[in-house]
Amino acid sequence: MPSTYRARLAALLAKCCTLIAVAGISMAAQAQPAGISPDAQRLLKASTDFLASQKQFSADTRNTLEIVMKSGQKIEFNHLAKVSAQRPNKLRAERTGDLVDQVFVYDGKSLTLHNPADKFYAQVAAPGTLDAMLEFARTKLDIVAPAGDLLYTNAYDILMDGVTEGFVVGKAVIEGALCDHLAFRAPHVDLQVWIQQGAQPLPRKLVITTRDMDNAPQFAVTVTKWNLKPKFGAQTFAFTAPAGTKKVDFLPR
Amino acid sequence: MKRIQVLKAFGVAMTLPLLYLAHVSPDTSSGFTLVRSASAVVGAPLTPVSAAGVARRTTVRAASASAASTSAASQQQAATAKQQEATAQQQAATAQQQAATAQQLAAAAHPPIGSTVAALPAGCKPVTEGGVEYQNCGGVHYRAAFQGNNLVYVVQ
Repeated sequence: MPSTYRARLAALLAKCCTLIAVAGISMAAQAQPAGISPDAQRLLKASTDFLASQKQFSADTRNTLEIVMKSGQKIEFNHLAKVSAQRPNKLRAERTGDLVDQVFVYDGKSLTLHNPADKFYAQVAAPGTLDAMLEFARTKLDIVAPAGDLLYTNAYDILMDGVTEGFVVGKAVIEGALCDHLAFRAPHVDLQVWIQQGAQPLPRKLVITTRDMDNAPQFAVTVTKWNLKPKFGAQTFAFTAPAGTKKVDFLPR
Repeated sequence: MKRIQVLKAFGVAMTLPLLYLAHVSPDTSSGFTLVRSASAVVGAPLTPVSAAGVARRTTVRAASASAASTSAASQQQAATAKQQEATAQQQAATAQQQAATAQQLAAAAHPPIGSTVAALPAGCKPVTEGGVEYQNCGGVHYRAAFQGNNLVYVVQ
């Protein structure tokens, strides 16, 4: 009985593999459309515009990051992040995982980076809008702000900057949501985005492939939960140093 | 234009992100030190920018010695496995390990002022001078600071 079961399983697997292989071959053989397809552009623009129109939202994400070691071996790290945003000038992001345990708080006046486990935080005066703050953090402090480019009011332009090719791969289901799967190419990276279908075209997944590095490591973010009607408290965008937590400086870039 | 180029480089990257994840420091302390110091490339948002940043820090920090010893150690393991066929390789690995040890000693003895490390050496004691807390690690003083998203210790 077990051997029969195994045989059937093997046969089934062989069938699947063949199907996958055939599918793979036929897809590989498909000519990639030249240029950027208008459909791909339209779907992405609808998503970024929709998000830009949201006055406040929060999102839970699951992120994987690949690191390539000198030997060429790839190592994957996993993190969870929760981002809360209120336009035009408030942001909070918490991420925890293998490599980081960090809270980022922007209250419209200052930007705070807090490592709870290390019991250190740093705080600096910041510009008064999300766009300006993100730019300030990136260029002056070398800090990557959570929610990064999505929060820019011109998110679409930033995403599409340098993109030379793009097409709609097809339909997909991400975290239970039916999505359109888009693929883009830019000079150094490939980008895949999955956008939820329906009245709320939210981005559900993003994969960035760094093409010009050995073994093309990937960074992937999946939004496990979107909340477009979050209830923010007085403390959501405020930072109060917990007892025993020490303030340190940001090193100039 | 400059901004555009930077964005091209890593922009798409940090993109959508709710995502932040970006800057996962291959250097933070806790746990994965070995992987972090050995990692040559970060495949994240921030692509080239991040990689360049990491490389810059790697060169500066004393941990570069530990990276060297890590790679020497793994090379030595590989050499041991192939010992019969590859004695020469083992010799090379041993030589590298010796070099790494020497480097490590040198780094431990004289970390350059202003250089940063991702993790403090063992046996540090907190000292407060002028209201600022330092870590005294065998006579070398370190002060915590954020370098981008990464917490580092700066040699005073």
